[in-house]
Amino acid sequence: MSQSNIGDELRHATVEPLLPIEKKLIGWSLTIGVVLLVGLALLNHFVPVSF
Amino acid sequence: MSDAALDHIRPQRADGVIAPITEDWLAVVLGLAIFVLALAALVDTDLIGWVVTTSVWSNLGQALKATSKSYASLGGVGALIATYVALLVVLGAAAIALKSDIRRFALAFTAVFWIAYASWVIGNFAHFAAVTPADQHKFGINWSLRLTNEGGYIFALIAGLIIANVFPRFAAAIRDAVRPELYIKVAIVILGGVFAVTTAGRLGLASSLILRGVAAIVEAYLIYWAVVYFVARKWFGFNREWAAPLATGISICGVSASIAVGGAIRARPVVPVLVSSLVVIFAVVEVLILPFVAQAFLAHEPLVAGAWMGLAVKTDGAAVAAGGITESLILAKNAAVGVHYQPGWILGTAATIKVFIDIFIGIWAFVLGYIWTNHINVTRAEDKAKASEIWQRFPKFIIGFVVTFAVGLYLALGTPADIAKHVPAAIGEANTFRVIFFILTFFSIGVLSNFKALWQEGFGKLAAVYLVSLFGFVIWVGLLISWLFFSGIKPPLAS
Repeated sequence: MSQSNIGDELRHATVEPLLPIEKKLIGWSLTIGVVLLVGLALLNHFVPVSF
Repeated sequence: MSDAALDHIRPQRADGVIAPITEDWLAVVLGLAIFVLALAALVDTDLIGWVVTTSVWSNLGQALKATSKSYASLGGVGALIATYVALLVVLGAAAIALKSDIRRFALAFTAVFWIAYASWVIGNFAHFAAVTPADQHKFGINWSLRLTNEGGYIFALIAGLIIANVFPRFAAAIRDAVRPELYIKVAIVILGGVFAVTTAGRLGLASSLILRGVAAIVEAYLIYWAVVYFVARKWFGFNREWAAPLATGISICGVSASIAVGGAIRARPVVPVLVSSLVVIFAVVEVLILPFVAQAFLAHEPLVAGAWMGLAVKTDGAAVAAGGITESLILAKNAAVGVHYQPGWILGTAATIKVFIDIFIGIWAFVLGYIWTNHINVTRAEDKAKASEIWQRFPKFIIGFVVTFAVGLYLALGTPADIAKHVPAAIGEANTFRVIFFILTFFSIGVLSNFKALWQEGFGKLAAVYLVSLFGFVIWVGLLISWLFFSGIKPPLAS
């Protein structure tokens, strides 16, 4: 497919609304990510680097 | 998974011939071969000491020399020619394995090698590279850009950019040897051994850094991906076929991951290929800017800077290369005020972070593939994502990195002192090859970065998502998390 065809495709693409499964994927990813990051930050705080 | 879905993994020629080996495995073979040959020095057999190395110079005649004194008789030019011939033979064999046209590859590689290495030599000119007043005095000069010798990478990158944007026909002619992914993967395999030697005396610090790499995985896969996917879908109206590879390219890895996810969600091959092109172009911009920003603001937190490069720059080549430049710039700035950090830690941190992120590409591609084929575009049972795809999409060069790291660590710590004392010098010879593969990577990334493509219809919208995500979110969250996990941790001082 040529790049001009790709350009047409992107310009005229119909909008696909977010499906519930996509919303779940985004929501769960962010929630797990933030929780894990907070946990790791606490671990990082309480387990200092050993030199 | 169908054979068609795996086509991205095995290189395919225009006439449909599929290579018997993937670029990943080839990188493992090449990297390990160089590593093993270097280790022959432990039994007093110097097999690769002829590889050329470049010093900062004011007299061009003194710029080049063989890495090992055993091959000093070759002279600089002899060592350069020996290096060129050896790489031509080895990479020519690799090109045959990848089913490339060997004659075209040989011609293209000749141009790539000589232009890239010439750029590196120019970058080592004292007026560009000398760092301290003592260096300037030594070379008899009174000014310098203080780019350090690794500023030569920038020169190689700029040479590639000029070719891509001013001489596009020449760029197309040398395309067969413009393989940044292969070159950086070979370099990363060798880097495993180099990092082992660097960390051998500081295992506590090294393991702490590796554990902190877990935070990078969480950030890239769970936070970056979700936000960028949402931005692409909701704010820019991209459909799912475009949004998933785009989010993956921007958040995880522009080439390997976006192609893996494109295959996993059964996107048309053109989608991840175009996303990869876009990511490479933005990675170039990042490499030209971020190391200097890090030098200006993070010189007192060297490992934050290294982790930041691993998190914010989104191709393997550019991320590790940016780590190399950042290390060089920050070490130089600290050296100027009398603080001499041990080299290898900033680059090692950037590479470790990027390798940690890459390890999970296969798993993430499988997760998305499972969701897509079972819930979004429900497919026939035989086309649904299978767990075996995790291994098929796993970046195999990581195995090479782990092997050289483990072997290097064993040799440095587990062997008698009379052997262990020769390990740094032996792996140092392999490291000279690592530098050359970095140079080839930088040049190749430049040649692939045709900025005109950004202005072509359709790319503007893709670029806008990238611009918003990268400069509005990815860079700053990467910096915040690097700071959170790496601030206060300093590399050991050089003895």
